[in-house]
Amino acid sequence: MADVLSSEVVVIGGGVIGAATAYFLCKEGAEVMIVEADDLSSGASGACDGFVSLQTKQLGGHLEMARESSQLFPSIVEELEVDIEYNRCGGLMLARTAEQLKELKARAKKLKAAGLDVETLSPSELKERLPDVDKNVKGASFCAEDSQVNPYKLTLGLAQRAQEMGATILKGCKVENIVVTNNRVREVDTSLGSIHSRRVVCAAGTGSNQIGKMIIVDIPILPQRGQILVTESRDRLLDHIVSGAEYLGTKANLAEFMPEDEEAQKLGLGFTAEQTASGNILIGSTREFAGFDNNTTPDAINAIARNAIEFLPWIKDLDVIRSFAGLRPCSPDGMPILGTVKGVKGFYIATGHAGDGICLAPITGKLMSELVLDGETSMDIEPFSLYRFK
Amino acid sequence: MEVMREVWEMAAKGAVAVLVCREQIPCNPCEEACRRGAIVVGEDICTPPRYDPSRCDGCGRCVAICPGMAVVLLDRSPGGGRARVTLPYEMRDAVEAGGEAWALDAEGVPLGKGRIVRTAKASRKDAAMLVTLEVPEEWSLKVKGLRVRVMSLEAPQEAEMPSRDEGRTVCRCEEISCAEAQAYAAMGFRSLGALRRYSRIGLGYCQGRFCQTMLAGELQEATSRTPEEVGTFRVRPPVRPVKLSRLGGEDG
Repeated sequence: MADVLSSEVVVIGGGVIGAATAYFLCKEGAEVMIVEADDLSSGASGACDGFVSLQTKQLGGHLEMARESSQLFPSIVEELEVDIEYNRCGGLMLARTAEQLKELKARAKKLKAAGLDVETLSPSELKERLPDVDKNVKGASFCAEDSQVNPYKLTLGLAQRAQEMGATILKGCKVENIVVTNNRVREVDTSLGSIHSRRVVCAAGTGSNQIGKMIIVDIPILPQRGQILVTESRDRLLDHIVSGAEYLGTKANLAEFMPEDEEAQKLGLGFTAEQTASGNILIGSTREFAGFDNNTTPDAINAIARNAIEFLPWIKDLDVIRSFAGLRPCSPDGMPILGTVKGVKGFYIATGHAGDGICLAPITGKLMSELVLDGETSMDIEPFSLYRFK
Repeated sequence: MEVMREVWEMAAKGAVAVLVCREQIPCNPCEEACRRGAIVVGEDICTPPRYDPSRCDGCGRCVAICPGMAVVLLDRSPGGGRARVTLPYEMRDAVEAGGEAWALDAEGVPLGKGRIVRTAKASRKDAAMLVTLEVPEEWSLKVKGLRVRVMSLEAPQEAEMPSRDEGRTVCRCEEISCAEAQAYAAMGFRSLGALRRYSRIGLGYCQGRFCQTMLAGELQEATSRTPEEVGTFRVRPPVRPVKLSRLGGEDG
């Protein structure tokens, strides 16, 4: 390795957000270095499901970003050499009660007004799309644009493509300090040496808080644990990505969809299910604040299983072969933190995507590339500013 | 202690039962088995048996029937520093008079080898076979078990390294060959975890129990990293496939 490393842009973090940022920067011809403390997709991007769900986003900028992101996926699929198993399969959100269905209908109306095509299905219409759904399910909303993707392959594919376009990827490289002089980023000190750079993107996920401290900025990110069960591989059983209305409640903190059960509220329990290209069904999920503990817990595993059986009774006969837990970077309002930092030129933040990192990665990468290289973005990112919390 | 001394002295003339039972559990087959009334449990079936060695004729019925293996026969009559201990033996492998067996203490630790002088099938189907082992007299009160089988664990054999033949299957669950595993390992992953997520090796039914060593070997070779640096798969529950209904609380 050369004595003095330098790069036009340093991206801290080799997760999906870092990889997407590097990919879009390289497309614009920038010189990029990805600095990853462990391995690519070793954090939240390596311990999640592959939902690219639009109807679960919060109305406003969040949804806007998701829609833009969704439109970028097809071109990414074309440009990457890795098959990222992208499947525009459509997504169902199931209502367990008549009230939930009413709320879903009202929400569908608002989503439609915002330009997203969402329809509500009666139980018989739902049965056509999801046979053998529990008879107590009162209906569902359906968004044809909802999709699924393999999150590791997406992360690796983007990183690999960026590498082909000239990016350097330093794995096992821990950031130790960021040198700021005269209000500008000058250098990133790492366990592998110092890197001269005037532009640094913090895409460090749950480690962002630690990185922020190095430039004396508080990036309010807490690790939020999500647990998921994996079943044996089967022939196609699920044609869509499926979630329960309560998933929306715990995810977006919406009172009208919050689970009634106290334990479920504590676990942040929300039903999700998707069948991956390999045939395994991923059943989720929880949203818990447990520090940096990423162990799976018996309580959550049992609760997830019970919950899933209530929506899809046939699922009880499948063998569960694994479980996993991941820590998502979660901001106080559950939405990403994007943009610059006051008083420190050349420092950019792209973190806090919580459970939406995979879905929002393409647009985040594109916007960060625009911000770093041109200083302005094609979409208004003011709602995602760090300073909204102050 | 008094009983113990009496037993020791009686054993010089012939076989006598040594009963070491302190369990306060509902159990009394020894009382039933003893025709001479040497063992008494009484009405409260949970009290440990009271034993009167002077009534014992060394028949061994209590040895064969005790489910806790708490009784042996001691016979010091051969003399010359040798004693015979009669033990229950429940395995069904070949135990023959004239052969050798390891005498074990209460912890299962071998005291040394003894000579098998007699074997006797129990008259009752549910009782154990009796084996009489001749051992040095000083061990005789410590012997609580015996082992006939070869102690293979004392000298483990070198495990054979799996072949690196390219066509060989590394991951049986996901059907991934050695050549494919080598190609994945050469892709630049640092850790076994990252390699697993991408390649799917070790993500199947076995959770990497069978393929982990081979995959780690390939990654070490491809990256010149040590086993510690490469790490291991993280094992998450369930440790083996289990029906979702069981996790959900139904059926179990």
